[in-house]
Amino acid sequence: MKRWRLWLQDVVLPPAVLLLVLLLVWHAAVEVGRIKPILLPGPLAVAEAVVRNFGKLARAAAFSGSAAGLGFLISLLAGTLIAFAFSQSKWLRCSGYPYALFVQTVPIVAIAPLIVHWCGRGWHSVVLTASILGLFPIISNGTSGLLSVDPDLLDLFRLNNASRWQVLWKLRFPSAVPALCAGAKTSCGLTVVGSIVGEYFVGYGSRSYGLGYLILFTTDQLRMAELFAAVLASTLLAVLMFSAVSLATTAILQRWYDAPIEHRR
Amino acid sequence: MSRRLLMLALLVVSGMAAGCEGTAPVLLPHDPRLAEPAPPPEELPAITLQLNWFPEAEHGGYYAALVHGYFADEGLKVVIEPGGPKAPVAAQVASDPWRCGVDNADKLLLARAQEADVVAVFAPLQDSPRCILLHKSAGITTFEELSRQTGFTLAMNPGQPFAQFLTKKLALSNIQMVPYPGNINQFLLDSQFGQQAYSFSEPFVAERQGVATHTLMVSDLGFNPYTSLLLVNAALMKERPDVVRKLVRAARRGWQKYLSDPAATNKYIHEQNPEMSLEILEYGAAALKPLCLPHDLPATLLGQMTPERWETLAAQMVEIGSIPPERVDVFRAFTLDFLTEQRPEDAAVGRN
Repeated sequence: MKRWRLWLQDVVLPPAVLLLVLLLVWHAAVEVGRIKPILLPGPLAVAEAVVRNFGKLARAAAFSGSAAGLGFLISLLAGTLIAFAFSQSKWLRCSGYPYALFVQTVPIVAIAPLIVHWCGRGWHSVVLTASILGLFPIISNGTSGLLSVDPDLLDLFRLNNASRWQVLWKLRFPSAVPALCAGAKTSCGLTVVGSIVGEYFVGYGSRSYGLGYLILFTTDQLRMAELFAAVLASTLLAVLMFSAVSLATTAILQRWYDAPIEHRR
Repeated sequence: MSRRLLMLALLVVSGMAAGCEGTAPVLLPHDPRLAEPAPPPEELPAITLQLNWFPEAEHGGYYAALVHGYFADEGLKVVIEPGGPKAPVAAQVASDPWRCGVDNADKLLLARAQEADVVAVFAPLQDSPRCILLHKSAGITTFEELSRQTGFTLAMNPGQPFAQFLTKKLALSNIQMVPYPGNINQFLLDSQFGQQAYSFSEPFVAERQGVATHTLMVSDLGFNPYTSLLLVNAALMKERPDVVRKLVRAARRGWQKYLSDPAATNKYIHEQNPEMSLEILEYGAAALKPLCLPHDLPATLLGQMTPERWETLAAQMVEIGSIPPERVDVFRAFTLDFLTEQRPEDAAVGRN
């Protein structure tokens, strides 16, 4: 009981109060400044747009969320494998890293025609853009995690004639998990961005659409309240993704490790 | 320390409040920029003309008025600001009385539905250049045939009213709709690909790249919003009708000049937007003529509007779900006040 109250007081209350204050300031600014909805809709108008378009928003969020989720899993898997490879050879690492950076910096708009050419349009291409955006944090964190192994342990493995595979699987990989978890947290947010932006360029057929389409459509129609509703849905989706990944990483770190104090309950 | 933080927070909040006042689109009577008309020569603030796209032929007349000094002749200092994809023209015009804009009639009605008090005063393009660009080899010559296609891809901005109109009027369920890519690269590669275009721009570029094209005019289906309208802030119109009158006069002279002799203006547009070659601009200017002066409309009547056309557009946009019926106030979206009264010298220019 006491723990619940503390949790409410420390975790729930402060952001809730801040949210309320921000909403009030927003409402007051729109009312007092007589800001037209074409520039900034008030919070009530946005809330009304959310309620009115709830079904549409939920469907679009499911489309974008599923693409981001699968894109995240792909980037987690592919990123970890690439990090494995990078950790095995300095030559491979030095030659490959600049090109790994490429996937981080390449604007989707530049490679969209290629993606469309090879994969066509639709959900699967959105998954691909999401995974491209989510890849780099995994590679980067994973590689540094795999390399920063306790040298004493490495000596121990060598003394016992451990094979390269054993060092990788039994020493490097377990010590890299915290870094991979940190990378996953960054990556999952980026895959949401990738799925929404990717939809602008490689997305939707006539029937199915996600939040990217809704954002484009409402912008063209100058329906700012509905645009804000779509942006709100995108934010909630990212928060949801992040919370899920955070919970998962906390669980993993707790189970596998003598976790640092902040992870202990 | 915490007191200092509090002070800082207060400062920020008051700064935000001041910002709000600054962006409020209300024109207060004591606004120094709108002081009672002083005896000439009066120093007017510079007027920004916000375009809806990168500088192109459809803005030609406005650039002509700048290049040939017609704005200056009226004592106006005008700066033309290029736009681009999603340029929020009406929103910017609504928030600053000394900002004018160039945008299309359907976009204006969308903006007015969001309480942007912006008014159309001059309509250089009577007929919309909006079309669907197709490969000639696709063999599609009518919208009917287009709607019967299977395995065909059509790229349009889904939120634009003309796209909603097409989707509503034609059964396009077998066609894959995709976002408008902003260029014709994909079009060039795929004969089963069509996209939105302006009749005097993209078809020309495609032909240059060796692709024979066919265009379907959206206006042939009855959806024909005025294009490249001159938009002004309602407050400017109310407080300084003299300025709006001067603007319209200069714009009309500019368009008359551009349709008869576009060379100097095209050179200037090409400098502003090197993507537009002189060749394509020349083609554009020639192709604009029948859109600006259809049915042998005399050049003196350039820019005219009729209430019927506006009503038709509003009714269509309500029908396709672009604007809710309760948000339509079409008779406040335009005014004919600045089109009728002409000085004799304007008419003389038109005949040349």
